[in-house]
Amino acid sequence: MFKKLIEESTGKSPWLFHINAGSCNGCDIELVSVLTPRYDAERLGFKLAGSPRHADIVVVTGPVTKQSLPRVLRAISQVPEPRCIVTMGSCPQSGNVFRGSYSVAGPLSKYVDVDVDVAGCAPKPEAIIDGLALAAKILKEKRGRKK
Amino acid sequence: MNMLGNILNYQHFPIYAIMVLFLGSFLIAAFGENRAVRNVLALLSITAALGFAVALVKPVLLEGEIISYWMGAREPAGGYAIGIALEVDALSLFFALLVATAVFVSGVYSIQYMNRDHNEKEYYTLYLLLCGGVMGMVLSGDLFNMFIMVEILTFAAVALTAFRNTVRGAVEAAFKYLVVGCMGSTCILVGTAILYAQTHTLNLAQLAQLVPGEVNTATKLAFALLFVGFGTKAFIVPFHPLAADAHGAAPASISVIISGVLTKSGIYGIIRITYFLFQSMGLGTVQFLLVFIGSLSMFVCVTMALAQHDFKRLLAFHSISQIGYVLTAVGLCTALGVSAGLYHAINHTLFKGLLFLAAGAVLHETGTTDLNKLGGLAKKMPHTTVLFLIGAFSISGVPPFNGFASKWMIYQASYQKAVESGNIGFLLVTIIALVTSVLTLASFVKVSHSVFFGQLPPELENVREVSWGMRFAMGIFALLCIITGLFPNLVTAYLTEPAAAAVFSVKPYIEAMGFDGSAAAALEGGSFQCVGAWDPVSWLLVLCIALLAITIVAVAGKYDNVSRCRLSTVEDKYQLFYGGEKQELSQLGGDDLFWGFKHNWRAYFNYMHRLHSGIVNDYALWAVVDLALVTLFSLIVL
Amino acid sequence: MTIVIEALQYLGYVLIFPGFLFCFLAGMLLCGIDRKLVAKMQKRVGPPVLQPFYDFFKLCGKETIVPAAAERITFMLSPLVGLAALVVIQLFIPVFGFTAFSGIGDIIVILYLLLVPALAMILGGAASGSPYAGVGLSREMVTIISCELPLVLVLLAVAKTVGSAIGTGLCFSLSEIAEYQLVNGSLITKISMLPAAAAMLLIIPGETGNHPFDAAEAETEICEGMLAEYSGAPLGVFKLSHAVKMLSLTSLFVALFLGGLGTGIMALDALLLFVLCALITAASISFVHAFTARLKIEQIFKYYWTVVSLLALISLVLAWYGL
Repeated sequence: MFKKLIEESTGKSPWLFHINAGSCNGCDIELVSVLTPRYDAERLGFKLAGSPRHADIVVVTGPVTKQSLPRVLRAISQVPEPRCIVTMGSCPQSGNVFRGSYSVAGPLSKYVDVDVDVAGCAPKPEAIIDGLALAAKILKEKRGRKK
Repeated sequence: MNMLGNILNYQHFPIYAIMVLFLGSFLIAAFGENRAVRNVLALLSITAALGFAVALVKPVLLEGEIISYWMGAREPAGGYAIGIALEVDALSLFFALLVATAVFVSGVYSIQYMNRDHNEKEYYTLYLLLCGGVMGMVLSGDLFNMFIMVEILTFAAVALTAFRNTVRGAVEAAFKYLVVGCMGSTCILVGTAILYAQTHTLNLAQLAQLVPGEVNTATKLAFALLFVGFGTKAFIVPFHPLAADAHGAAPASISVIISGVLTKSGIYGIIRITYFLFQSMGLGTVQFLLVFIGSLSMFVCVTMALAQHDFKRLLAFHSISQIGYVLTAVGLCTALGVSAGLYHAINHTLFKGLLFLAAGAVLHETGTTDLNKLGGLAKKMPHTTVLFLIGAFSISGVPPFNGFASKWMIYQASYQKAVESGNIGFLLVTIIALVTSVLTLASFVKVSHSVFFGQLPPELENVREVSWGMRFAMGIFALLCIITGLFPNLVTAYLTEPAAAAVFSVKPYIEAMGFDGSAAAALEGGSFQCVGAWDPVSWLLVLCIALLAITIVAVAGKYDNVSRCRLSTVEDKYQLFYGGEKQELSQLGGDDLFWGFKHNWRAYFNYMHRLHSGIVNDYALWAVVDLALVTLFSLIVL
Repeated sequence: MTIVIEALQYLGYVLIFPGFLFCFLAGMLLCGIDRKLVAKMQKRVGPPVLQPFYDFFKLCGKETIVPAAAERITFMLSPLVGLAALVVIQLFIPVFGFTAFSGIGDIIVILYLLLVPALAMILGGAASGSPYAGVGLSREMVTIISCELPLVLVLLAVAKTVGSAIGTGLCFSLSEIAEYQLVNGSLITKISMLPAAAAMLLIIPGETGNHPFDAAEAETEICEGMLAEYSGAPLGVFKLSHAVKMLSLTSLFVALFLGGLGTGIMALDALLLFVLCALITAASISFVHAFTARLKIEQIFKYYWTVVSLLALISLVLAWYGL
């Protein structure tokens, strides 16, 4: 019974940890807008956590510069299992306009398994919520698989 | 057989308790070259002193007998006491027990603590001299004899403060202590002389009979002199900076004696002169004097402690702050108040001893007591950490440790006094006491974070736990802290209430020595009844059940199934979160941890900082000003 | 036989009502109501009322990481000790006429017991070794110091009012305060107690560390302070403790000021207690949360030692002169 309870709860209370990997700040602001009264992601249980130790979903924005890569990987490794990695905006997926730059080490999927990609520059809040909801579902499945 | 029985008669035990300590001191001075001989002699004499004190518990504390002992059987002649007398009532024995316990534990601790020092022979000689001085003072029945003992203990304490004269500031601290301590001793001597001139006697009981009828300008001056003199011994405000310096420099085992026992002798002296010699505690103004100085010591010293960044200096200020509690409670002049104060005196000796020993253990292993250089020792010295935490919780009054029980009584006593006397000032005392208590907690949170938790600096990687002997000594104190915390009813019934009752029975004290006590003012202390109820055992039982239930649930839910680093190199996952950066040493400095509080009080702290200049001339001046004020006060009100 | 029944009864108190189970359910519900209310006040939909339960169970299913720098035993044990202490506090606070352990419910004891959960959190944070925890514990301790003075004044005012009314001059026993209110009506109806009640309402968010007095756990600036290194079940226990602390303080308010509303039927009383706690939470935690920004730590201190203490002091002086 408790296993089921925990599994159910895992999908209903995903806490986000946001990593800026060299983003232009556009996506960061959109992520905050998701928590505003208009979109209110808290109704789905989303909450911004201050420390990676509390997080379930890691949201990465920005093209993952060479400077930020070790920091991003370190912070991701500090998130306890089960965890989900969401890239937000086009940058961490493809490098976007920064692709090919001498200082960009991305895309992120070269280094870690990314669970959800939310494309757009910057993505619409609806798309972000959709992506996060998907991540929450994956989180629940991961927990269910773990046993 | 008869002779042996005569020797083992408990009437002789007070003098034995003093004698064995001095005898040990002299024997070590003579034959203490060998380490084993020295240790055996020291241990024997402190154990014997403890044994004699404990043996007196039954007749004196439980049966209420007052032992009067004329040295060399020189009984009073012609109505005047000529010989030197010992007079042991419940109050004296109470303090003697404290002395014996603290001396015993600190002596056991010394054996391994001092093993890296040279001049151990001199150490033990002085140590036992100091202990004998305190023991002699609290058991004495003669004012001049008290002065002699005060001198012995002051000089021994000064010498021991400077014992580690290679430590920076040790000699300076000893010098300050010497100057102001001598001023205090001189005050006592002059006060004694004035009283002798007025009443032609030095016997405490006879003084108590004669002085209240002789209140004139001279005896008022004597009161002020004696009060200030014993005040320096208790380090109450304005003598607190001396304590800070002395404790910072002295070895930890000596700090235990200075803080736990020497200050108590000052309190004992103050009780003797206010309650017994002058019987002035019935006056609201004298109560005010004690309560005011007590509350001032309490608050000023706790705020001073918050600003310290040296472990032992911090403890020293707390020591005076707790003495402030004792003095305040004693100054309330109610049975509950005195009983609470004496209870706190016991607890102060125990937890302060424990804390100083823990500080000594840290110093012994790491070589420093600077809060900014330490950290994370809990992983290296787990037992010391637990023992320290017991002491820290006790002094901060976290239930169910002993500090809570006595502070709780002090709050009730002061608030009750406020309600009964209708004086709103006593209400302020309750509030100050409560706030001081939480500031004490803050300061010990600081210590536990800066020394035992937080991060371990790399240079402390090779620190080890202290030897078992030192842990054993700390363990005794910790155990006593827990026992006195868990069974407050037993402590009050068998220790503090008899002693407090003795404080309120001047007449038997005078009559035990064969003088006429009919004129003694009868002070009414009221009942020992607390307003609230505090039952630590059932509290602890409930807490244990709750904790057990929660733990069972937690363990069943795989709470302890944690992932932790098992490799010698720390993987990223097990590093601390530094915003993504690599883990590095960034221990928060100890001295300014509570700046949110200090910022609002910056005017006060800056003023205090300027005031505590560290110059001995200033402190001597404070002593003179204090004496002048108290003299003025006593001339007006007494 | 009677001893066994009595022991079972006390065990029932500890485990079910007003102990562990009640604390768990009521505390979490209070927390959920608070979050929902704040959302409504901010024109949001807000999380479901059961959200704290989801959070708690989710955290129970997460991995617990113990950092290499942490002192493991203190790190793991302190959440449990904090929770146990809170359950014990709840046992001491009378539910109108009913007190589980009446002999030891004393307001000074409560005052000190309220320090224990905070202390557990501080030691746990310190044991984690994180510098964020260091900053957090410093702020937490200052918050405790801030709240202590007004809380002391409020409690002394209540002790004096009830004490002079029942003729002992002073009354430190919570169960006697509760009994007095059952007979003579709630204390809040007295003029002298109004400022104290107002002060207590302002103390509640400070003691629980709710917005705007949550400098100690500021998640946006110091990564939730002392909790920065906690993950999984221990973090869940701390979150639970926070919820239970809300319950303890609000029910302490009820016990001190609204004690006259009891019906005498235990089940009904429990329900009433919960409703009142929810109302007080709405008034003192949610409402303040919704329209204020986080204060800096020195502002918190200043606020409590001036405004709130003054309110409490007025009450104490009024009580002193028997109003």
